[in-house]
Amino acid sequence: MTDWDPSKPILEIENLSISFFTRLREIPAVMDFSCTVMPGEAMGLVGESGCGKSTVALAVMRDLGKTGRITGGAIKFKGRDLTTMTEEELRHIRGSEIAMIYQEPMASLNPAMRIGEQLAEVPIIHQNMPRAEALALARQIIADVRLPDPDRILRAYPHQLSGGQQQRIVIAMALMAKPALLILDEPTTALDVTVEAGIVDLVKELGAKYGTSMLFISHNLGLILDVCDRLCVMYSGEAVETGNVREVFDKMRHPYTQALFRSIPLPGADKNSSPLIAIPGNFPLPHERPKGCNFGPRCDYFRDGLCNARDIPMDAVTDHDRHATRCLRWTEIDWNAPAKVGKITEKLPPGRLVLKMEDLKKYYAVSSGAFGGGAAKVVKANESLTFEAHENETLAIVGESGCGKSTFAKVLMGLETATSGSIMLFDENVQDTPIQARNTDTVSKLQMVFQNPFDTLNPSMTVGRQIIRALEIFQKGNSDAEREAMMLNLLDMVKLPRAFAERMPRQLSGGQKQRVGIARAFAGGAKVVVADEPVSALDVSVQAAVTDLLMDIQRENHTTLLFISHDLSIVRYLSDRVMVMYLGHVVELGSTDQVFAPPYHPYTEALLSAVPIADTRVQKRRIVLEGDIPSAMNPPPGCPFQTRCRWKSQVPGQLCETVLPPVQVLAGGHQIKCHLSAEQLARMEPVITIAAE
Amino acid sequence: MEPLSWPMIFAKMVVQFWPVWAALIVTVALSLHFRRRLGLYGKLFDSTVGLLGFVIVMFWVFTALFADLIITFDPIAQISQMKNVSPGTPVPGSDQWYLLGGDHLARDVFSRVVMGARRVLTIAPAATVIAFMVGITLGLPAGYFGGKLDTGLSFIANLVLAFPVILLFYLLVTPEIRQTGVPVVLAAVLFLFPVIFVSVLLNSRYFTNPARRNLYVGAALAVGLWAYSGLAFNADPTGIWSMDPNLLNVFVSVVFVNAPTVFRIVRGIVMDLKSRDYVAAGQTRGEGPWYIMLWEILPNARGPLIVDFCLRIGYTTILLGTLGFFGLGVSPESPDWGSTIDDGRKLLSIYPHPAVVPALALMSLVLGLNLLADGLREESMRD
Repeated sequence: MTDWDPSKPILEIENLSISFFTRLREIPAVMDFSCTVMPGEAMGLVGESGCGKSTVALAVMRDLGKTGRITGGAIKFKGRDLTTMTEEELRHIRGSEIAMIYQEPMASLNPAMRIGEQLAEVPIIHQNMPRAEALALARQIIADVRLPDPDRILRAYPHQLSGGQQQRIVIAMALMAKPALLILDEPTTALDVTVEAGIVDLVKELGAKYGTSMLFISHNLGLILDVCDRLCVMYSGEAVETGNVREVFDKMRHPYTQALFRSIPLPGADKNSSPLIAIPGNFPLPHERPKGCNFGPRCDYFRDGLCNARDIPMDAVTDHDRHATRCLRWTEIDWNAPAKVGKITEKLPPGRLVLKMEDLKKYYAVSSGAFGGGAAKVVKANESLTFEAHENETLAIVGESGCGKSTFAKVLMGLETATSGSIMLFDENVQDTPIQARNTDTVSKLQMVFQNPFDTLNPSMTVGRQIIRALEIFQKGNSDAEREAMMLNLLDMVKLPRAFAERMPRQLSGGQKQRVGIARAFAGGAKVVVADEPVSALDVSVQAAVTDLLMDIQRENHTTLLFISHDLSIVRYLSDRVMVMYLGHVVELGSTDQVFAPPYHPYTEALLSAVPIADTRVQKRRIVLEGDIPSAMNPPPGCPFQTRCRWKSQVPGQLCETVLPPVQVLAGGHQIKCHLSAEQLARMEPVITIAAE
Repeated sequence: MEPLSWPMIFAKMVVQFWPVWAALIVTVALSLHFRRRLGLYGKLFDSTVGLLGFVIVMFWVFTALFADLIITFDPIAQISQMKNVSPGTPVPGSDQWYLLGGDHLARDVFSRVVMGARRVLTIAPAATVIAFMVGITLGLPAGYFGGKLDTGLSFIANLVLAFPVILLFYLLVTPEIRQTGVPVVLAAVLFLFPVIFVSVLLNSRYFTNPARRNLYVGAALAVGLWAYSGLAFNADPTGIWSMDPNLLNVFVSVVFVNAPTVFRIVRGIVMDLKSRDYVAAGQTRGEGPWYIMLWEILPNARGPLIVDFCLRIGYTTILLGTLGFFGLGVSPESPDWGSTIDDGRKLLSIYPHPAVVPALALMSLVLGLNLLADGLREESMRD
């Protein structure tokens, strides 16, 4: 290792191919993948699920499991080939020279060991460091990852920390051995956006401080722009484009990269005037990849006889900094041509009042004692929710986990009954009526689309049967044949082939399952649809298609859509009005333009700043919230946001700590729940500015 | 005729089992050919352990089916000279042998073991099915609703599980207890569950179409209650459904001790599955709780339940063997393996074969069921 020259790449992957061997066949997961990471450089790997980006990371760790095997190429770490190393040599490198951070922090920590012990283990094993010294180092690193009260954390068990704190500990553990290369596999996907922003800042800062090289894997282009210097776009097992982040973002030279950018909602996209352009078709299954270019069948620039004739090599883009693309036609394509604009639609005016909630409260009583005794605590999941929703309207409900948005959905659907307040649905008060007591008509008018596509359909029932069941329950159709025909029409409506009726859910992709979920929700002609993060678990290219489908159906049926989400980009794209929730309170409510422009509620401001945006023109003011969301079991007195608010010092006296702020109604019916005066609010500056071209 | 040597005995037995071999070959060949279309059952053939278990279990199943073709003598006929004869002894006045010798009542051990398979393979799976229906019918609501219902049912289940099984059996089959009518009451309660299970299952699915619901549920209730009256109270006027009082005792006791374990497994799975989105989807479209439990949750719990079902048949088989060994329940003439082992026990040191042969049979069946369960578990975990 002494002969390694620091000016040489730290990691060099050359023509790497990886296959998984199942009973039936060999499944190639990664083909002909090359990339180079220089010292101190952050390399981003971006792509949709199943594109092989995590497989590359696992191959670098040589941790492919029993079925995975490297079938060709080399992975050189500091000039030494990892693919030929023995287990013994690998053990020295793993954890000390290369460290990996996984997606799920709780799964990476040993729940039965104190944090201090787990951290100290790393230098004790790799450097034979004495225990006391190792613990001292652990304490210092915990302070480095900016966790408060390091001594308490050292003695804590993982479950005593929040998700964000756990992920910081995992990062601390990776840094204990001062690795030369850090692999981060979707390190923030399981975290809330405001927590994610903190972690991303930390990773960048530590990378600079320790000079660690990083391989950063993510599906989120905005995050890659924030963190990385260079990136590599992967599609179906191949790297399709690699280069400097800014060059790839602004001057992409591969059709897939272009299509990807056109399918994500960037500022400026609008559901009516400039809709997203979904990538047609589906991601190919690993054993059904086409000949030639893998992206060929979905590509606008596809030319028969050229693109599908032979394997396509990476081609260097001239005049660019180490920029390469796997496209044969990149010199012929006019990259500045504007995208074909999809169908432009008129915004439908909001119709009659459909749903009205007034002062809705939902409290849960939880007992803390093991035997039902002990002091009963109250979780205030929803506090005085008041809002209205009209026909044709999309109302977005935004907030991080624990803000009460799911509880609100449950109460509205009738799965729980409200503690107090009223819910008027079409002039009918439903707040005390559990779902069993509602009549079929009410139930079929108010339906829900669920978040997790892998969970939304019953795995042991055919797709057609599940839709027909919904029709039966809603008393639609008079005979089996009639319902069968209605089911097929519903499949047409969500643009799925009719043959899917006979399929089992496991034979469908995530996006297709979500479409079935939408068909099922609209089976009874739903008028109000609660969509609980319907696209957050889908890949970006599929998100656009499913979102557009929802919009189309909404336009046709004049549906009121309650869109629950934490993703502000998509909310800005499709909603008419936005409601921001924090710890059970509505902190801001207004039209999309009002909420996304100043004056903001301080929480909205931080939320907007935290969302990564994949656009190099966007300039953001960085506002990182300290700490975590307080527990709903033990909310802070006064304003719910006061523990993390950066404006608190501008409010005189102890007002924020003691008094719940009143709702201020600003111009245009924009509501903000804050103690800041109207003048102070008016002085706020926009978080996001788009630099002129 | 000369006594047969051991190789000759084996050769004769192999020939005698010909219907079993034929059926096994057909089953395995067909299954292997279509295995990609057969779901979990097809995947079983990818696992050596599972395949071995399947073949052993099917061997005994086919033995039970074709027992009439395989046996060489009437299993309860006694031929006076043949008392305790060693394996391979020719039977005077015929061209046959006692392939595995004779027992202390001069009956053919081979034929008794073959016929015993029929007894064992009827009672054990039937008792397990009833136990599953009881466990599922109670476990579903306990897991789904939780709360006081769960606390109550779980407490009762734990109470039954905490009681020593053998003592419970002795109590249930002692004449004094039997005179109090406890076994009949138990049977009345336990046999009601399958009827409830099937009726609720059909009702929850078809209630949207009353005409069809009435037909299906009516038919299920008619058949169910008819069988119920015969099995539990011996009151079936046609006499098709009836159960020997001794057998009823054994049956009820086996169901009684098995149901609580099934209950706990089902309850655990339901508590996990009830938080899935498809359950919430069912709730938000206004499905009743029983539809959600029986049609949305139960089919998705089938993996662990099938595995446990196989293991539990094995366990029940041993339990029946134990009961037979203690002389509980079944008639003395019965060729079932447990009582046969008990009969052979008294002369074990002099004539081991009457006890060893059924013991080996019992062991191989239970081994096969365990291997089958292992194979199923392993394959259901894979992709």
